[in-house]
Amino acid sequence: MSRTRILDLVKTQCRIFSLNFNPQRLRLGNKILRQRLRGPALSAWYPKKTVSFRDLQNTYKPLGLTTFDEAEDDREEAIQIAKLRGKGRPKKKRTAAESKSAKKKR
Amino acid sequence: MSKMASMFRPKKLDLSGFVNTRLIRDHNKRNAFEQTEPERQALRYMIRNTSLPQRVRAQAQLQLSQMHAYTRPTQIKNRCVASGTARAVFRDFRINRFQFRMQALAGELPGVKKASW
Repeated sequence: MSRTRILDLVKTQCRIFSLNFNPQRLRLGNKILRQRLRGPALSAWYPKKTVSFRDLQNTYKPLGLTTFDEAEDDREEAIQIAKLRGKGRPKKKRTAAESKSAKKKR
Repeated sequence: MSKMASMFRPKKLDLSGFVNTRLIRDHNKRNAFEQTEPERQALRYMIRNTSLPQRVRAQAQLQLSQMHAYTRPTQIKNRCVASGTARAVFRDFRINRFQFRMQALAGELPGVKKASW
């Protein structure tokens, strides 16, 4: 078979399979365009955020439905006990003068 | 364009499970890469294409090298989903070897069984 015949064959093949016809074997960078995008697979490595208990609480709060949260309950109880022992948080200073005087006392 | 990494940080964290700073940073890099991947590939194509003028190719090279480090795929590191460790992470399970052992022994990984013969 002649060379032109083979080239014609390759050309038709490229047209049918939508490939790039490049008989001179020039470096046209088409292999970059052939690559698949890796971004979606890479960004799906870590588990995405799902609905949490707190989200449920927040959605039902405006409706007046309260839920029992044991951790929050424990925390508030501990704060109450600390207050009774006089170990609660100091009162918030509202003005600049108040905070200054508090500093001077030390 | 500023070169701050904070521009890749989402306003609200969209991850669940184990979270630490390095894991979040890696997640941000993954998102940044996903967003800029078409642009990067286009520039890469221009650089490899020898039929384009040399000047255009050099400009593409410069532009690609000046993109933020977070958009580079080599910055991405597979970290353990359960502990954030970056070493000895099994790709199939996305957890590191110690977490794998603990979870496998606890029967939390379907089909994984301790070898014995």
